[in-house]
Amino acid sequence: MAGTALAPGKVRVKTTSAMRGHRSRIALVNAVPVTVFLLVLFVYPIIGVLSLSLKGDNGAFTLHWYADALSGANLSVLVSTLRISAETAVLSLLVGFVLAHAIARMRPVFAALAMLIVVVPHFISALVRTYGWIIMLGEHGLINSLATSVHLPGAPYSLLYNETGVVIGTTSVMLPYTVLVLQGVMRGVDGRLLAAAAGFGASRFTIFTRIYLPLVAPGIGTAGLLSFILCLGYYITPALMGGDKQTVVAALIDQQVMKQDQWNSAAAFGVILLLLTFAGLGVLGLAKLRRKKTAARRSSS
Amino acid sequence: MMELPATRAGHVGRALSATAILLFLAMPIVIILVTSFGTDGIGTFPPEHYSTRWYEQMAAPGGNWATSIALSSLVASLTTVFSLVLGVTAATALARGRLPLHAAVYGLVLAPMLIPQVVIALGLFLFFEPAGMLGSPLAIALGHTVLAAPIAILIMISTLKGIDERLEDAAASMGAGRMTIARRITFPLATPGLIAAAVFSFITSFDEFFIAQFLSTPDTRTLPVLVFNALQFDVDPTVTAVSAVLIALAILALALVALVRKLGGHRNQQGGVLPVEPLT
Repeated sequence: MAGTALAPGKVRVKTTSAMRGHRSRIALVNAVPVTVFLLVLFVYPIIGVLSLSLKGDNGAFTLHWYADALSGANLSVLVSTLRISAETAVLSLLVGFVLAHAIARMRPVFAALAMLIVVVPHFISALVRTYGWIIMLGEHGLINSLATSVHLPGAPYSLLYNETGVVIGTTSVMLPYTVLVLQGVMRGVDGRLLAAAAGFGASRFTIFTRIYLPLVAPGIGTAGLLSFILCLGYYITPALMGGDKQTVVAALIDQQVMKQDQWNSAAAFGVILLLLTFAGLGVLGLAKLRRKKTAARRSSS
Repeated sequence: MMELPATRAGHVGRALSATAILLFLAMPIVIILVTSFGTDGIGTFPPEHYSTRWYEQMAAPGGNWATSIALSSLVASLTTVFSLVLGVTAATALARGRLPLHAAVYGLVLAPMLIPQVVIALGLFLFFEPAGMLGSPLAIALGHTVLAAPIAILIMISTLKGIDERLEDAAASMGAGRMTIARRITFPLATPGLIAAAVFSFITSFDEFFIAQFLSTPDTRTLPVLVFNALQFDVDPTVTAVSAVLIALAILALALVALVRKLGGHRNQQGGVLPVEPLT
């Protein structure tokens, strides 16, 4: 990371304790703007959501909105959000794994080109990409005209305005994350381990399941959870590519605020999403901590 | 690196599946670019006749589209200014100083990237609604800064970490003052990062839909809000041209960042743009 303009080695000008004090003062001053900004416009509003979700019409404490959110039609929206997120996580893991694995073994030029195609869409408005999918997946879209022209059984397929469409759309949105994470772990795999196993007569399948997969497992976990979490609050694709039945929590919140003036109920849904996200992040954090501990134990023994 | 020898079947299989997936990713974007020049808008693909009709419609002065493009540009510019200020100060604190509570501040900075945007949008709605600020470009820009600032901060952190602090120490040991060091050494070295942070802040705001949707009124709708409405309710083929422009804008922005980084001697780092690295 550091530039190589000067001689190698970490020869630093000695920092006296006075200088160190000065540095932490400067750091404190510089940390103020972002901290204040995020406390006022991020943390405080979210606390506002939390308190609204616990307030009844008369202002008294109530869990009514949560009971409401976790029953009947509302519960089924929550369940379908979780299902869509899980499906997206699995699909983007599978597709991401195949792609990352292929990229890892490509020649550098092709690998760079492939990464470009993966990463560039991430910076293009999700609305626009979703629109592209709508054009492509429609009844007379590219996919279906291709499928009918080669007489695939069952064509044309209904790929739009149902859960299939939503999951295809969200998967393409999450794919840059999964590919980047998986690529990171795949690059770290020591090829000599695989070659050694082959030298002892292990079959390709055994090498893959017993050596390669365990080595990249942490990345698989992170990538899957990350796309699950990011999918939970996703709105654009389900709203535009889903049918009437594919309401997700984010769409419900939007509806309740914009059309029905049910802010309390929307807030309760927001808090539920928040808690689910925290749970996912907690699992990620714990896994990371455990990996660190095992690594420390291994290096000390 | 030593590897297992590749079998022919494995090689072909990998190449085919990778190509298929990459095509799948690129096709929606290519289709929009092509369709936007078609005469019949959202008709058949590929279009039978080509024209720039929808682009003219989009740019028509006084129209819905032109108004929202102006509003989005204003909001995105404000967001860029805010998030650069926050980005530079916060990155200085996080990358350089010995900041007490470093982990807490860093966590706070990362949080907006991972918290569901609908929750942030709802919170901002509840925050600005009582103040009567719904529909105000300033409110939308402040909301967008919540999302853009973390990106700017991560980019600036990786930029500042990439600058050899010994250069600054050397200047200090030769008697350069703090301001001189910042102006003559740190700033020139950090310029590529600053430009990247500005570009990503701008497009984050320009493309942002959810917060804008919650904070907008029927009179003030940013471009993405208008695009969403056009897609969900009335099918206006102009939206294809608008989408193509948004694609071009994103690609131009990325090209600009890549160019600046190359001129600045950086090696193609995607550093800090996706919240992937801090998590793994």
